[in-house]
Amino acid sequence: MSGPVLLVLRLLITASIYAFLGWALWALWRDVQQQSALLANRKIPTISLNIRPAREELRVSHFVQPEILIGRDLAADVRADDETLSARHARLTYHHRQWWLEDLQSTNGTFLNRERLYTPTVVVSGDQVDCGSMTFTISLATESINPPTQKIPSQLDDLD
Amino acid sequence: MQRLLQPPPTRIQLQSRLLITAAVFLFLYATVLTLSPAARERTWDTAYRWTHWLGYASWCFSIGMIHWQVRRKAPESDPYLLPVAALLSGWGLLTIWRLLPDFGLRQAVWMILCALLVFLGLRKPGLLRALRRYKYVWLVSGLLLMSLTLIFGTNPMGGSQRLWLGCCGFYLQPSEPLKLLLVVYLAAYLADRMPLKLRLFTLLAPTLLLTGIALLLLFVQRDLGTASVFIFIYASSLYFASGRKRALLASGALILLGGLAGYFAFDVVRLRIDAWLNPWLDPSGRSYQIVQSLLAIANGGILGRGIGIGNPGLVPVAHSDFIFASIAEETGLAGTVGLLLAIGLFTARGMTIAISAANRFQRLLAAGLTTYLSAQSILIIGGNLRLLPLTGITLPFVSYGGSSLVVSFVSVLILMQISLTEEEEPAPLPMTQPYRLLPALLGLGLLAAALVNGWWAVARSPALLTRTDNARRAIADRFVMRGSLLDQHNTPITVTLGESGDYTRAYLYPDLAPVTGYTHPSFGQAGLEASLDNYLRGLQGNPASLIWWNQLLYGTPPPGLDVRLTLDLELQAQADELLGDRAGAVVLLNAKNGEILAMASHPSYDPNRLDQIGETVAGSPSAPLLNRATQGQYPPGEALSPILDVLNIRMEKEIQSLYTSFGLYETPDLRMPVAIASDPKEPLLVSPLQMALAAAAVSGNGVRPAARIAQAVNIHPQGWVILPPNSGPVEALPPADARSVSQALNIPDTNFWQCRGQARRDGSVYSWYLAGTDANWQGTPLAVAVVLEANRPDLAESIGQKLLGTAVE
Repeated sequence: MSGPVLLVLRLLITASIYAFLGWALWALWRDVQQQSALLANRKIPTISLNIRPAREELRVSHFVQPEILIGRDLAADVRADDETLSARHARLTYHHRQWWLEDLQSTNGTFLNRERLYTPTVVVSGDQVDCGSMTFTISLATESINPPTQKIPSQLDDLD
Repeated sequence: MQRLLQPPPTRIQLQSRLLITAAVFLFLYATVLTLSPAARERTWDTAYRWTHWLGYASWCFSIGMIHWQVRRKAPESDPYLLPVAALLSGWGLLTIWRLLPDFGLRQAVWMILCALLVFLGLRKPGLLRALRRYKYVWLVSGLLLMSLTLIFGTNPMGGSQRLWLGCCGFYLQPSEPLKLLLVVYLAAYLADRMPLKLRLFTLLAPTLLLTGIALLLLFVQRDLGTASVFIFIYASSLYFASGRKRALLASGALILLGGLAGYFAFDVVRLRIDAWLNPWLDPSGRSYQIVQSLLAIANGGILGRGIGIGNPGLVPVAHSDFIFASIAEETGLAGTVGLLLAIGLFTARGMTIAISAANRFQRLLAAGLTTYLSAQSILIIGGNLRLLPLTGITLPFVSYGGSSLVVSFVSVLILMQISLTEEEEPAPLPMTQPYRLLPALLGLGLLAAALVNGWWAVARSPALLTRTDNARRAIADRFVMRGSLLDQHNTPITVTLGESGDYTRAYLYPDLAPVTGYTHPSFGQAGLEASLDNYLRGLQGNPASLIWWNQLLYGTPPPGLDVRLTLDLELQAQADELLGDRAGAVVLLNAKNGEILAMASHPSYDPNRLDQIGETVAGSPSAPLLNRATQGQYPPGEALSPILDVLNIRMEKEIQSLYTSFGLYETPDLRMPVAIASDPKEPLLVSPLQMALAAAAVSGNGVRPAARIAQAVNIHPQGWVILPPNSGPVEALPPADARSVSQALNIPDTNFWQCRGQARRDGSVYSWYLAGTDANWQGTPLAVAVVLEANRPDLAESIGQKLLGTAVE
């Protein structure tokens, strides 16, 4: 009889859809497990800035977020009411297991160890940064001082 | 845990395994489609379907080509997107082929074109950068294409909406690529501007302008479904970029307002919204599409009718807007839940790609594309399920339509390109809320679709499938043997002839048409064909397991059962001959057990020629469709006066009480359509059947039997099983009274009594004649009632006497 034969085939069709979905979900689950295991070993090292703004007292700030904005802007993380500072002056970002300093086309420029900064550059503990008349030194938590394990991309476009 | 330690498959391995599973699924699908005529006609000796294997081959070729290119150029791209896209597009392609092979062939050609595009696209790593850089060029050219439809627009399906640009049999719907281009433009623009958080409105002015132009074009073209998709794309892009929930709420309000304004401004919108809110008011007109879609979904049930075995072609535009209903009918809830899960998987992967994208543009682009495809799917699936108002948009990947398929595959290409950059560190994600809330909303939408699908396919299915506008019943009649109607000597009256797939009903005794009725694909059912339908269709009398099994295997009821009537064709033939072409009715019955031996109603019609004469007889003033014997309502007039005289009844109240015991205020309960009896407070109208039963009370020693028309049903393997009367006999008169009536009204030298009389109503005159065997008769007691719609009591008498005379022989 044609009916029972086709019924078996129809059930197989349904089974094959769910085999597809089940397989995909199983692979996804394993992927998530792997990813979380990888990420658990990766933490943003705390960055501490010893800030010496002009005409103000020295202060130390600790950051755990991956992006720090320096400027006069109200939204900036390191702020100073200083005319030599641009609204969005410079930015520290953590990626590729490094902290990077980037000048945001500020009027007076950003200086790393007294050299003017034109491209995003890796910073390490002890580096001195000058933004306008504000100066700060960087100190990183110990585990991130390892030498870079990854090849640094030569060009970093598309990073707003 | 042992298995966890094995190295996981690489991405390209996983992709190839998923693609093979999809290929197996489609192979089984195509196999069942090939064999499906065998199940429809319940025989292996039939014409099988082969052409769709061409579609399967072109799918294999297309997907194989893309996979090969991914292996070479982008082995680290996301391994889920292509398999899901392949599964959905193949499923769609074969479903379209199953519905309309010509359209399937076109879709297969588009499929290969898509594969070529993706093939070439994978070789261009600079694609994303070019998209971002020339965002205005893309969007403006899309808008120009769209505005060309205002001048050169055509509609390949011949409808009034001219949304296509076409040449030489090749049609493009510019609103499809425009959606993609809008997502690209918004992602690029917002990625460039969004870090400046202030002055939202100045910031958004250019996007509002361009989206506004697009919306205007769509409104002019009355393409309102696409317009709502555009508003949604705009709102979600803004929300992803800014994280402000206001964007979503404002667009929700805008769509609502637009819908409300459209309700009063455009007929199309009003029609769609009315059909959504209350489809049952006008199921054959404005809400025909949605009701038919729900019927298809209900017919699917849980497991589906099987590929090629359902009737999804009954839903208008099943290959495009209503492809979800087709899939629901043939693969059932099990299949559609799989489909919804596949869309959910696509959404989840798209969002994952968005979150781990390397920069803001790519993130917004991935999120925008995913939301767009997913939301459009939910919108049209919701429309098919009456969860949302119906919008004339496609189901991405699945629906017929080259433009839609190309745009869907280009979206997959872009998403795969973005997923390639996952190697790099994800861009910072300042606001996580949009990336949690929107996927959750989409997931909820898919869940709601699954639940509503279950509601129609399981909870509401039995009620929907018995609707008279469900053409599947009539189609099943062509494939499944319907039971015959036989007279009491098993002479066939109405039978089914022909071969499976081509069964037709033949009425061997057409004069009985008002009684036996008809079963017809467009006129429905009437008479005994309607009232005994469950037996004739095999839904009653057969064991429940057999019915369930047939429904599961073939989607039809089991072969029908023969029903034996109480009619005697010889007496019937005489009654018909005596009545001739005069309007009136005759009922002859066995006064002891109530079996109706002859029942004639004239004028009659030939049910074999219903195709040609159906409209005429339905509108004819002489009402040939009406069974005058049971549904005709005549005033009794003087008909019973002789009996009243014999019993010396004069008072109005006593008369009514006698009439009540004769059953004239009581609707006879038998397996055929009858007129509802008069209310005692209103002027009395009676049917000839009621009068015959009253006469039977006189002939049967005062006992009024319950009338019967269906005597037995032939159930395998038991044989003929008696159908008992629906009610029992009633003591109508004291036996002495019955005897004195039959003696007083006796026809000299016979064993018959008779009475006759006239009745008038609204200027018409009717002649009644009642007769029966008297108390001295030793054989089976008989009773007859005749009514003529003319002033011919003598003729009524001669008809009744002759019939009675033949019957006692």
